[in-house]
Amino acid sequence: MEKRDFESKNRYAISLVIATVVFLLIFAISYSISYFELQRVSNLQVGVGYEIFEDKLGHSFFNEQICNGSSFSKVSQDLSFQGRIVDDLERRLGKQNENVLLRKQFYSLIEIEHFEFVREFNQKCREDLNTILFFYSNNVSEIEDSEEAGRILGSVSSRNENLIIYSFDIDLESELVNKLEKKYNVTASPTAVINEKTKIKLPANIQEIEKHLQ
Amino acid sequence: MEAITVIVYISIYLGLFATTFYILSFISYSKKERVFYTDEELPAVSVIIPAYNEEGAIEKTLKSVLKSDYPDFEIIVVDDGSTDRTLKIAKKFASRKTRVFHKENGGKGTALNFGIKKAKGKIIFTMDADTTVDRKSMKNMVRFFKDKEIMSVSPAIVIDKPRNILQRVQYMEYLLGLFLRKAFASIKSIYITPGAFSAYRKSFFDRHGLYEIGNPTEDLEMALRIQYNGYYTENCPEAPAYTTAPATFRELMIQRRRWYFGLLQNLWRYRKIIGKRYGDLGAFVIPTALSSIILSVIVIVYMFFKTLFEVKDSLIFYQSINFDFPSTLNVNFYFIERVLFLFFSKPVVLFIILFMAVLGFYMHYASKKIGRLSGLFVNLVLFYLFFAILFGLWWVITIFYIALSKTVKWRDL
Repeated sequence: MEKRDFESKNRYAISLVIATVVFLLIFAISYSISYFELQRVSNLQVGVGYEIFEDKLGHSFFNEQICNGSSFSKVSQDLSFQGRIVDDLERRLGKQNENVLLRKQFYSLIEIEHFEFVREFNQKCREDLNTILFFYSNNVSEIEDSEEAGRILGSVSSRNENLIIYSFDIDLESELVNKLEKKYNVTASPTAVINEKTKIKLPANIQEIEKHLQ
Repeated sequence: MEAITVIVYISIYLGLFATTFYILSFISYSKKERVFYTDEELPAVSVIIPAYNEEGAIEKTLKSVLKSDYPDFEIIVVDDGSTDRTLKIAKKFASRKTRVFHKENGGKGTALNFGIKKAKGKIIFTMDADTTVDRKSMKNMVRFFKDKEIMSVSPAIVIDKPRNILQRVQYMEYLLGLFLRKAFASIKSIYITPGAFSAYRKSFFDRHGLYEIGNPTEDLEMALRIQYNGYYTENCPEAPAYTTAPATFRELMIQRRRWYFGLLQNLWRYRKIIGKRYGDLGAFVIPTALSSIILSVIVIVYMFFKTLFEVKDSLIFYQSINFDFPSTLNVNFYFIERVLFLFFSKPVVLFIILFMAVLGFYMHYASKKIGRLSGLFVNLVLFYLFFAILFGLWWVITIFYIALSKTVKWRDL
């Protein structure tokens, strides 16, 4: 058989160029979406932070009633959503990504602010909202235990409506988180501090956690 | 970066490159001038219909051929030792134009060869007994034979009245194949002719032999033999042929196992085709097809298990935020945002959307050639949902078969 000619060798070169351009373009678009999402989350965090400060100031400085306001539940819901967004950002951009760490620092700040708000809310309004301060680590040696403990706490949360969980990365460069660790004498991860009284290292049992809830 | 991620992106890049190349080839083909037989020049043709236990379909098949607007044709029905009423029904159509023969059961290849030996036409149509054709299909296909290098012409195979999910998925697979078949034809690289309905130049059988008996995919072997000997197969999308698709998972599995086993077996046999000597076919089309199969199977199997675990994780996640599953219709803002962000920030998802758009273009081409396609949206959704996993499963099982040195025959069916 005679050697068969190619229909057009140029077509291969053109196809290669087009495929490469499209390939790179898609990556550029996906990273743009990630960037815009990060910006959006940043704005959202600022908004939630502002709302918490506003509510707290309204109560402490202007003596506004916090018990019958609806802002508490909204802020709590926003905080929970933000936690999940930070979680997604970690998955998407990596746990060591600079932007993600920055968002986590700010998120930790809002969590502490919210935690203080809840303490006051419980006192002034005679509510019995439970709180768990969950200290975890993304270090290779501890991440598996931390993720398992996170899953268990997630289940506890879904079973108890009056429970708020605040998660803190103990490796985060945040002075406030470090102070919080010292305050509750947290030395290892994962650790759960329930209602500021009970400390459980390596939380592994739902019932064990629930028996300390009010 | 994980090895699987690298494999996924290599597959995507290869897919982009091949898709671009085929689309460009298709565009360039449509601008080319070709030679066709006029109505007066159309040669005599023989339509060979091997039949084995086809009492439920043979009548419809024969009626559809008899309605053809082709000026000069004969029909040769070869009953391959049926144990039902196939022969009796076929004999009702016996005439000067329709000859009916009976032989002992020996498989499709033997029945086709029997028919070819009896044929008087210069062009041979091979046709399954459960397939029907449009009035104009034969004429449109035979016109291509004016080009002396063309030894075979394939039609536009369409699944007839798909009913269940499996048939609908196959319906879409066949429709999407219409564009690719034409793109392959544009670079003279068709290496598969459908067994359901195809046309061959009789002189090729005379010079290069009849169908190979015992080959699990004798039609594919013939198409490769044509290429191997330096000839081509054309494609005529304006010639619809409607065939019945396997309706059960088992039937479909057996069919695909036979096809894929046959593909690998025949490609190995004609492996000399691979390389520059055979132009686009040997240097690009077959190597791309083989590497796509390997990469696709790895990616599909991996993605299947990854998706299972991700769904499990997501369920835990939605439970943890007290997501109200029973009221999912009442879609909430958090849910939408999370899904949008999680999906659209992943390059793979954007690539999938791009490929879906390409498939949409292929669909548009198919609907232009076949006419209005009913239930397109539902079928397309089913195709997106199930095809990849079915494709992976068929190949994995075929590979196991080969690894265990099992053989696949026609009468496994």
